[in-house]
Amino acid sequence: MPAARIEPQLSESAASVPLLELTGVEQRYGAFRPALVGLDLTVRRGEFLVVQGPGASGKSVLLRLMAGLERPSAGTVRIAGEDLARLRPAARAQMRRSIGYLPPGGGLLASRSVLENVALAPWAAGSSREEGVRRARVALDLCGFDAERSARMSCGELPGGERQCVALARALANRPALLLLDDLLAPFDGANANRVLRLLDPFSEAGVTVIVAQCTDAALAIPLPPPWPARARLLRLRDGQVSA
Amino acid sequence: MSYSESRSAALAAALGNTLGRPARFLPSVVATAVVLAGVLLGAIAAWRLQPLEAPPWVRPQALVLAAGAEGENDLSATRAAIRAAPSVVSAEFIGRDAALADLAQRPGLGNLGLRELRPNPLPDAFVVTFAPAAGPDVVEAAVAQLRKLNGVDSVAYQPEAYRRTWALATLARRLLAILGAALGAAAVVGLTISATLWVRPDREEVRLLYQLGADPAGIRRPYVYTGVLALLIAGGLAWWLTAIAASGLDPLVADLARQYAVHWTADPLPPWAGPAFCAAAAALGGVAASVAARLAMRGIS
Repeated sequence: MPAARIEPQLSESAASVPLLELTGVEQRYGAFRPALVGLDLTVRRGEFLVVQGPGASGKSVLLRLMAGLERPSAGTVRIAGEDLARLRPAARAQMRRSIGYLPPGGGLLASRSVLENVALAPWAAGSSREEGVRRARVALDLCGFDAERSARMSCGELPGGERQCVALARALANRPALLLLDDLLAPFDGANANRVLRLLDPFSEAGVTVIVAQCTDAALAIPLPPPWPARARLLRLRDGQVSA
Repeated sequence: MSYSESRSAALAAALGNTLGRPARFLPSVVATAVVLAGVLLGAIAAWRLQPLEAPPWVRPQALVLAAGAEGENDLSATRAAIRAAPSVVSAEFIGRDAALADLAQRPGLGNLGLRELRPNPLPDAFVVTFAPAAGPDVVEAAVAQLRKLNGVDSVAYQPEAYRRTWALATLARRLLAILGAALGAAAVVGLTISATLWVRPDREEVRLLYQLGADPAGIRRPYVYTGVLALLIAGGLAWWLTAIAASGLDPLVADLARQYAVHWTADPLPPWAGPAFCAAAAALGGVAASVAARLAMRGIS
């Protein structure tokens, strides 16, 4: 059922080119060690990519670059053939509307209600108030959150796992063509991590590209290795480079 | 809470941020108005002083006494030579007969029989006025040059008096410049501080909206409208405060200006000045708010 609701927003002509193409990407912050070094990566439409690595290996930076939230110090990041660095701010904003981005920690506004937090994605994309609320309810329902309760509760009241569900619902609310989920499974135990991955699998099957960043630090990793979908591709990062 | 990129929604948000929160809005708008009123008073004072010119007692002058028994043509030539000297802006001729008649009319001198003096012992003279911007050295050099002119008997000029006046005027100019700079800096600091009171972008919300793909111009719009609205109201209030202050100060300043022979325009301000000031204040508010919102978004992209 969830897969039937997915209508990826990128055009059909974009299907012929890789959805994501990173060439020689490097990211530096001042004089510090580069966060990413010479990264080449191609991600096809509908692919399920798991980016694994220890803390500070460059996973979050990679996802932010893919989301067009940062510009690379060197190299190019292309989404559906478009070089993000060459897009005007308004066009980049337009591009981000077709990306469901879940930042580390969820990035929810604690003082706002659950429903408002989720509806913010369609509202930011230009939907009417009513349409935004409708989409938020659908996305919350999909993530197993009681949509009726969502209007009354503020995000600050929610435990970590539920907060992450709300953040995931917001990433899904705009019917994205690309899902970038940073540290998605961090707040979940093994069973709930499996449930969330089962939720995402149909999206990937329906053509949505799903990229999940997963920390492999022993202290932060979930107790059991998650059963990634069979077709998931693993990309291991270490010190900003792809490791074997 | 909702979010929309439409102008009407941004205006509604701006009204909510300002008139909808009077306890927070009023103190900040009054503080802004006071700062704006200070700036406005300074601007009006500068306008009333136009055209800016030094009063007569600051302008250096010398009395050039023509050599005796000159014909009218020679006096014209002497006057032309005086006018051609550096820094001379005028040379007013005072004929010897007119000077004697003037002396005879003065109280206490009329009964001395000055009118009967034959021949008239006074020389023809020129009151030479130098450019107010000319320093003492320049004036003294010009006076020396005047003394060498044909047809000039002597030049009466008090260099020490003008040096003292020049030093005082220089000091006053520098003090005014320092005062103006200090007031300008205070106005900038005051406006910046008051601007932070009414435009306080929610960085977390701005960052989130940016991540979600909201149009950057749409994100800034409610803040810009809030800035425009706040400064429009503050500008109106400042205009009213200035009118009250000016009604009390203007007569005093005009009297002071008259006593020191300083030009001072008492004409009312043109009718478009008020609306223009409020519009300028509103534009300033919009720009300041836009900058504040851009700063909040900086580092995101």
